[in-house]
Amino acid sequence: MVVSGWIPWDAPAVSRRAVDAREAEFAQLFEEFSAPIFNYVLRMVTDADRAADITQDTFIKAYRKLDTVTDATSTRSWLYRIATNTAIDDMRRRRNVTPMGTDEPAFANRPDHRPGPEAQVMASTLDERVQRALMALRPNHRQCLLLSDLEDMSAQQIGEVMGLSYGAVRTLLCRARGEMRRALSAEGFAR
Amino acid sequence: MTMNRHEPWDELVSASLTGDLSADERLRLDAHLDSCADCRATLAAFADQRRIVAGLRHRPAPRDLGARVRTGIEGGSRVGLPWWRRPPAILAGVGGGLAVVAGALLAIVLLNGSPDGPPVGEGSPTPSGSVIAVSATPVPSAPAPTASPVESAAAPSPQGSPSVTPVPASPEPDVYLALTGPFDNQAVTVRHGPTGETIAGVDAPSGTPIAAELSPGGQWLAHITQLGERGLNELRATRMVEGTGEVGETITLGESVAGSPFLEQLTWSPDGGYLAYTLANPEADGTDVWIFEAETGEWWQLTDVGDAYAGSWVSIPDSDGSMALWVSTAEGTVMSYLTLVLDDTGGHVESGDPAVAPLARHEGIFQPLLSPNGSLAIYWKGRMEQSGAEWLFSEGAAPHLAEHQADDGFEFTNERELFSDVTIEQDAFTSAAIAWGLDGDAYAVWDALWTGIPQGSGGEYPNVNRVYFGHATDPRGLTEIHALDAADIPEGARVIDVKVSPTGEHLVISAAQPRGGVLEAPAADLLLVKRNTGQVPDAVVVIRSRDDGWFGPAAFDAITEDEAE
Repeated sequence: MVVSGWIPWDAPAVSRRAVDAREAEFAQLFEEFSAPIFNYVLRMVTDADRAADITQDTFIKAYRKLDTVTDATSTRSWLYRIATNTAIDDMRRRRNVTPMGTDEPAFANRPDHRPGPEAQVMASTLDERVQRALMALRPNHRQCLLLSDLEDMSAQQIGEVMGLSYGAVRTLLCRARGEMRRALSAEGFAR
Repeated sequence: MTMNRHEPWDELVSASLTGDLSADERLRLDAHLDSCADCRATLAAFADQRRIVAGLRHRPAPRDLGARVRTGIEGGSRVGLPWWRRPPAILAGVGGGLAVVAGALLAIVLLNGSPDGPPVGEGSPTPSGSVIAVSATPVPSAPAPTASPVESAAAPSPQGSPSVTPVPASPEPDVYLALTGPFDNQAVTVRHGPTGETIAGVDAPSGTPIAAELSPGGQWLAHITQLGERGLNELRATRMVEGTGEVGETITLGESVAGSPFLEQLTWSPDGGYLAYTLANPEADGTDVWIFEAETGEWWQLTDVGDAYAGSWVSIPDSDGSMALWVSTAEGTVMSYLTLVLDDTGGHVESGDPAVAPLARHEGIFQPLLSPNGSLAIYWKGRMEQSGAEWLFSEGAAPHLAEHQADDGFEFTNERELFSDVTIEQDAFTSAAIAWGLDGDAYAVWDALWTGIPQGSGGEYPNVNRVYFGHATDPRGLTEIHALDAADIPEGARVIDVKVSPTGEHLVISAAQPRGGVLEAPAADLLLVKRNTGQVPDAVVVIRSRDDGWFGPAAFDAITEDEAE
């Protein structure tokens, strides 16, 4: 998948000439997952710049560990695990620094000041309210919920990403949904 | 709800949404839902929630993500360096909007050849005063200033020619500050110059950043922020590389009366270990020099005389890396004293008088600013008067260029006036902002406040609103024609800060728009200007547009990648 308007991964010319399977595999991985990973991380940390940094680091780590992937079916979980751990590291590293050290959404409370039609402003507001609710969750609850509802992963797949058993994921996801229900209610959503 | 405590119905409800129920669990849950309104409500709420999260707006990944990843992969041998200190995108040959634009600019540079040769046309002023001879070392990928015939004929100084430090030839700043967001909820971040990516966050201020300097090696960024409309500035240091603290850790070093550029000199020691800065105390009506120690995060007051200003650092020859600081005093005859900041035991020298036992002293010289390799200096001569908490020149004052002899008693020799075509007499430049380029040859002067009758061909020279760009190798010094094109700066904008790129041919300028009121967010362009001469207009690239906020000041790291390794 190539999203129009941005620059996809482009394997180095030398590797292309050599039909370097590793480069080709990585290029495909990047093409397929860079945007979803970026959005997943963005919902984890809220800040787009941070999300870009974490996504960048995720793919650099993935490139260096590409040889360790043996089961093609688990590639997606493997990549999300790297992204999740990189995001957790980033949050932990910034915890004691003001304001970067907090996991709170540094920019989430700010209205979108960009000019635009009313509908765009309203859509943005809705998005921000949901994002605020997400940021009210504990980080592991947030991860679990995003993997389930944003990435449409099964409990089994979430377990692979988070290193948890099937049963533990179900319990965690249930708690996350309960927490999210309260957070959304606090943001004015019905139910 | 008839709920068995041993049956986690909510968990089954949750699992049902993702198909994670066994057949038996499905049957049990369905039976329970038929009789339990609460659980039906929970199912509806969870289903709504799942729909809401799944429907979150999808945002495109950054355009340059692929290029950044590739740069990171190819920079594998420098994994230990923070990512923002890896080679800039423009040099790595990767994509991205700015890199493309700046690449085109570089092409212009290469096509144009020598950047600052004699201007085309008539009326070039006759150089006056003596000539500073500097042997210009070519930079790696862009042409260095070429000596004009006049320069070639110039006699070298008796002490020999100081060499120019070779530096990476990237015109883009390593970092710049960004103030973004709506007027009532602004955030300051430090951005990576070539890519615009955020390196660190800084706590939200009530004003705008107006000065910034990276420590050599890029461990810290010192910066000055205006505190709203209070007429005060705040000095801060933000950690840029993880060490004993986290990236983004910001230390407030003090408050100062907002005043002349003399107060805005942030000078790092060559090893990046110490920052010298000047604070004007609004209560004591005086200025003193302070020191920040990077390793410990401590800061202390070096002088307690009420008229002291920080100049440049000097490495003491034949020592074990000892450094001293030029400290100048303003009252009476201006003086400069070479002062130690640590005593024999490594303790801080605190609240002292720089006139007591200095390593060297010079009468009539104020705030010497040394070129990066320490061989040249720009300093002020003239008489100062106190103006509120600070001091300004009032009579017969002007900046001068001279050689600095660290190996020979720290003398300043071969002096000449910086502006060679301005008649000073009893008039004065009350102040001006001055910045050296890392090549040790190029320098910029702006915000030059002239008290006399305007001079020059148009009767508007020297002009406080123009940026003057010169090279120590140029025997003409600064003249009217050394001003950047007026069109380089957006109409109505005010130059906040200027940095000279290591290429020695480009300037990075922060240009602020006038603010419409407190309800309007501050706005400033960050511009990259390639100086052209004669009839060729300067080339200007907008690194970051004021449409998105306030961008600048920028900063360059004085230590190269090779040196860092």
